[in-house]
Amino acid sequence: MIKKNFKNNKKYGNTSYIRLLNYAKPHTMKFIFAILIILFIVVIELYQPVLIGDVVDKFLVHYGIAESNIDTNLNNSNIIGVVKIALVYFASVVAIFLLSYAQAIILSRTGQKIIYNIRMELFNHLIKLPINFFTNNPIGKLVTRVTNDTEALNEMYTSVIVNILKSIFVLLGIVITMITYNFKLSLLTFTVIPFIVIFTFTFEKISKKIHRQIRNKISSINAFISEHVSGMRIVQVFAVEKEIFDKFDNENENLRKEHMKQLFTFSIYNPTNFVLNITAVSILIWFGSKMVLEGTITVGTIVIFQRYISKFFEPIQELAEQLNIVQSAMAASERIFGILDEEPEIKEDSNSIELKSFKGKIEFKNVWFSYKENEWILKDVSFKVNPGENVAFVGATGAGKTTIQNLICRYYDIQKGEILIDDINIKDISLTSLRKNIGQMLQDVFLFSGNVKSNIRLLNENITDEEIIESSKYVNADNFISKLSEVYDTHVIENGAAFSAGQRQLISFARTLVFKPDILILDEATANIDTETEVLIQDALKKLMKGRTTLIVAHRLSTVQNSDKIIVMHKGEIREEGNHQELLSQKGIYYKLYKLQYEQAL
Amino acid sequence: MNNKIKSKKTTGFMKSNYIRAFLKKYKFNYLLGVISLIVVDIAQTRVPIIVGSVIDQIESKNFHMTLISSVIIKLVSISIAIYIGRIAWRFFIFGTGRSIEKDIRNDMFLHLEKMSSRYFQDNTPGEIMAYMTNDLEAVRMVLGPGILFLIDVLAMGTITLYSMIVQIDPLLTLAGVVPLLLIAVSVRIMGRENRKRFRNKQEAFAELSKFVQEQLTGIKVIKSFVQEEKTIDAFERNVKRTYEKNMHLIKIQSLMHPFMQFISGLALAVAIGYGGYITIKQRITLGDFTAFIQYLSMLVWPMVATGMTINIFASGAASLERVESILNEPVEIKDSENLSNIDTLLGSIEVKNLNYKYPNTENQVLKNINFKIEKGQTLGIIGRTGSGKTTLVTLLLRLFDVDKNTVFINGEDLLNIPLKLLRENIGYVPQDNFLFSDTIKNNIDFGVRKGEMDKIIEAAKDSVVHENIIDFKDGYETVVGERGVVLSGGQKQRISIARALIKNPEILILDDSVSAVDTDTEEKILKHLNEKRKGKTNIIIAHRISTIQNSDKIIVLDDGKIVESGTHKELVHKKGLYHSIYEKQLLEKMLEEQK
Ligand SMILES: Nc1ncnc2c1ncn2[C@@H]1O[C@H](COP(=O)(O)OP(=O)(O)OP(=O)(O)O)[C@@H](O)[C@H]1O
Ligand SMILES: Nc1ncnc2c1ncn2[C@@H]1O[C@H](COP(=O)(O)OP(=O)(O)OP(=O)(O)O)[C@@H](O)[C@H]1O
Ligand SMILES: [Mg+2]
Repeated sequence: MIKKNFKNNKKYGNTSYIRLLNYAKPHTMKFIFAILIILFIVVIELYQPVLIGDVVDKFLVHYGIAESNIDTNLNNSNIIGVVKIALVYFASVVAIFLLSYAQAIILSRTGQKIIYNIRMELFNHLIKLPINFFTNNPIGKLVTRVTNDTEALNEMYTSVIVNILKSIFVLLGIVITMITYNFKLSLLTFTVIPFIVIFTFTFEKISKKIHRQIRNKISSINAFISEHVSGMRIVQVFAVEKEIFDKFDNENENLRKEHMKQLFTFSIYNPTNFVLNITAVSILIWFGSKMVLEGTITVGTIVIFQRYISKFFEPIQELAEQLNIVQSAMAASERIFGILDEEPEIKEDSNSIELKSFKGKIEFKNVWFSYKENEWILKDVSFKVNPGENVAFVGATGAGKTTIQNLICRYYDIQKGEILIDDINIKDISLTSLRKNIGQMLQDVFLFSGNVKSNIRLLNENITDEEIIESSKYVNADNFISKLSEVYDTHVIENGAAFSAGQRQLISFARTLVFKPDILILDEATANIDTETEVLIQDALKKLMKGRTTLIVAHRLSTVQNSDKIIVMHKGEIREEGNHQELLSQKGIYYKLYKLQYEQAL
Repeated sequence: MNNKIKSKKTTGFMKSNYIRAFLKKYKFNYLLGVISLIVVDIAQTRVPIIVGSVIDQIESKNFHMTLISSVIIKLVSISIAIYIGRIAWRFFIFGTGRSIEKDIRNDMFLHLEKMSSRYFQDNTPGEIMAYMTNDLEAVRMVLGPGILFLIDVLAMGTITLYSMIVQIDPLLTLAGVVPLLLIAVSVRIMGRENRKRFRNKQEAFAELSKFVQEQLTGIKVIKSFVQEEKTIDAFERNVKRTYEKNMHLIKIQSLMHPFMQFISGLALAVAIGYGGYITIKQRITLGDFTAFIQYLSMLVWPMVATGMTINIFASGAASLERVESILNEPVEIKDSENLSNIDTLLGSIEVKNLNYKYPNTENQVLKNINFKIEKGQTLGIIGRTGSGKTTLVTLLLRLFDVDKNTVFINGEDLLNIPLKLLRENIGYVPQDNFLFSDTIKNNIDFGVRKGEMDKIIEAAKDSVVHENIIDFKDGYETVVGERGVVLSGGQKQRISIARALIKNPEILILDDSVSAVDTDTEEKILKHLNEKRKGKTNIIIAHRISTIQNSDKIIVLDDGKIVESGTHKELVHKKGLYHSIYEKQLLEKMLEEQK
């Protein structure tokens, strides 16, 4: 998937520029305003030397010759004049100060707002991507896109847009003045332009590639940190710190190498401008001196042209710097757009059905499913669950039990067949109403940082504290929660790492029940819980789920034997189906499993 | 972590001993960088002089084209020198910045590897990620561009100031320079504020990173409870905070440039007024006046550069504090001073009067634990959820530290056994099976890293996962995704068992490690353990009696205490807690029999 994203990048190219600019569009007025301010500043800055010139020309020239006697009256009026100009100069300084600060703030705020919007759009999209996407992309990399990559766009908006326009204006101005001043000399100087263009384009190409690599390496490092910090305990327990460090060092060195490459391209490109500058000057001197000899121009022209040339290279240098920011922003934006262009979760028909509640009938009709092409995980699976029934799935690990549950909640779309709930194909039911009415307790428990309450109600403020306590009592979690120092307000750290595995499972169980689903799906919900608690939970569940459909997966047959129906899976197929007694009398897989457990227990 | 930073007194970037050590280590690089920088600067000043003189020649019309070509050759060679010089200083200054960045990042990771589990409970991967990229970048900015600016500012500033003071009326200089002194003062104030705001910004960024990391880890919960919209709202609050902190910082950072311009402008205004006045009073000549004005305008660039340098250094200092807060975190779990001089470890374990509280908690999790097992024996542990089973075994691994003289392995106090030796001799299958996003093969081989395929397959067979693996299209080369997402619960668990078995450790710890596998498979795994682990010590935690009933010794934990211990037979006869669990697990079957 990641590799695929990178291939995708190629097709972006210029569209990325346009897309990035589109984010700036709503702020056009602000950009125009900022440019106007800049123009104003330029005018004032041009006026400042005039002021200084005035001081000298109007008031001080007479004092050029030492000891010239000038009467005190004139002295006084000169002093007043000088002070006046000093004050005007001061006023211009204040004006520039205020204007440039205002301009900087306007642009920064705009830039930050755009980033704000991009981040929102990105996260909005990201969170709606299918589970499959998260399976294939390391979390650290995704985090990098929301945080670092968006941050890298900042300068694009705060400096590039305005400065590029400014540089282009300045450049045009200089070119026009040069041409009007002396056409022939101008043309001679402009012979360096093709070289600039060629250099710049080559540079752009190379630097784009390097920038991409850098972004790529940064996110690899982040992914590495994210994963290994999460699993540091395993690294330590297996005493492989050294080996893991070597791997990290390698990633780190890769990034440094890319940075060094970038540095070299830069150090080759940047002075190139300077060399071309000198070349232009040399051309000027060579041909200029000839022309002076011929008498076609004066030395003054050479002097002025030499100034123009250095002025000419200023905006070019400026543009080159901007170009680099653009490249870096491009590389970051490609990665961002890569996510935005991912297909959002399983397409929903616009006329999908909203359902307030389910009766609870579930039917699989000849369902075929695979995660990866041609590796069928479910093969022609058909079964039916009537409203209110309690159905259990058993079978060897990896048989496809969890997969079936994932399909009911539509985390994946099936390749062949149909899944119906209340006789409606789940593809026609809106995802929200489908998942809202199904309570699924996942095999892998996850707790968020926050407190016990917030982990049970999640972000639903309308679930009351009483409901939380009630459902915790059902699953016997209240027992240990009430012993915690701050009871239900006890702080929970990420992953719930300060709870025992069973305690985490109980909290997650309470969370599932508090939402009062019409269909309850439990995947190994009590695997890490002691027998005593398990029995209590089962009794509570029996009462609670009366009349509601329940699907459970369990390996302990004692948990499933009272189900209305038991489905025995084997390598993606349904092998046996029936209630406990029926299955025992079939003397098949279930019978064998049962006997095993029974014998073990003796 | 964050609180600690706030309370700490702020110190300068260059005052940090950690940074100084790097500057020392790379001093030749920096020195060469500075030299090439100076060479480039000097060479650059030659260019206008050469051009100026040739123009004078042209003006006199008294020249030959050979002169022109020699001048051009001169120019070209100078420009080549500059070209090389510029490459050199970039390489030496910026490149060194990158090298130090890498060194620091390595140091941080190395240090993190020594941190205890407690540390990782308080510091999440999302935050750490932000520290190791975002903050490090700010530090790197100082070590590259920051140092460059600093040298530039110092060099240009001193040269200009020096010539001003020496060549022109000292009084005037003073009048011009006094406003410049304003900078020194405001720099200090702004620098401090700047740093504070930058720290807040970095904190907000780390929070954002932490939030996104956590939510994406729990994405399946979000989806299954349809919490997307609300999570987006919560995200927006985070983004808003970063926006605000950023703007707060920008307000002061983008003040720097205009402010420096303002102060140099102010100096010029004063110079015009006062300088004009004393020129009229004929204390200085007009020439002095214009020269002075020129010098002052030459100071504008160093001033603006000063502003940028301040920004870079203030940010760098704030981030360095954060980086150092990781590096300075004390190592809690390490080899003791009176380390035993042993190089093998046999698996006899004795626990004496062990009491345990998790750090910073009140709750006594283990109370007066006493037991002893000989090498080669199997210990079964059973007990309610939260009774302390996992805690007990993680203490053996020194994921958290116990008191002295409470736990002995091979007769040695646990705390005196070299940490590496200890962990190399224990195979641990944790309750949550964390796998790395690597191939199945490498995951099994994680602790051994020899890549011996036959050993890997043997371990996979012993943990009864081999059949599953060869069913995959890519077999042992299948990449399992982060945390093993593409595997079923039972497959993860058994790969995690294989990962411990392949070490063939003296002590094997299975923490509820067959909870996600079916009875048939469990039976097989236990049988293999029985055969392969002869003469080695095993500790098996389970909720099912069937998993542990053949152990040499079983302890029953309840609320942190050992309430019963003995063999299966003895315990069943005792009619205590064990017996009641046994009854319950058996009862259901009995009921069935009657039906
Ligand atoms: N995201 C995925 N991508 C690819 N393959 C997957 C994915 N999730 C599961 N599988 C594969 O699908 C098969 C069925 O997995 P599933 O989780 O449904 O098994 P299960 O019956 O629930 O097993 P267990 O009892 O161990 O939980 C397994 O072989 C597994 O490796
Ligand atoms: N890191 C920690 N910090 C603080 N308290 C903890 C931490 N880990 C566990 N606890 C607490 O210590 C007690 C014992 O936890 P432990 O994980 O040892 O239980 P357990 O017997 O393994 O339970 P289970 O059968 O559910 O796995 C629990 O009350 C738990 O909340
Ligand atoms: Mg445990």
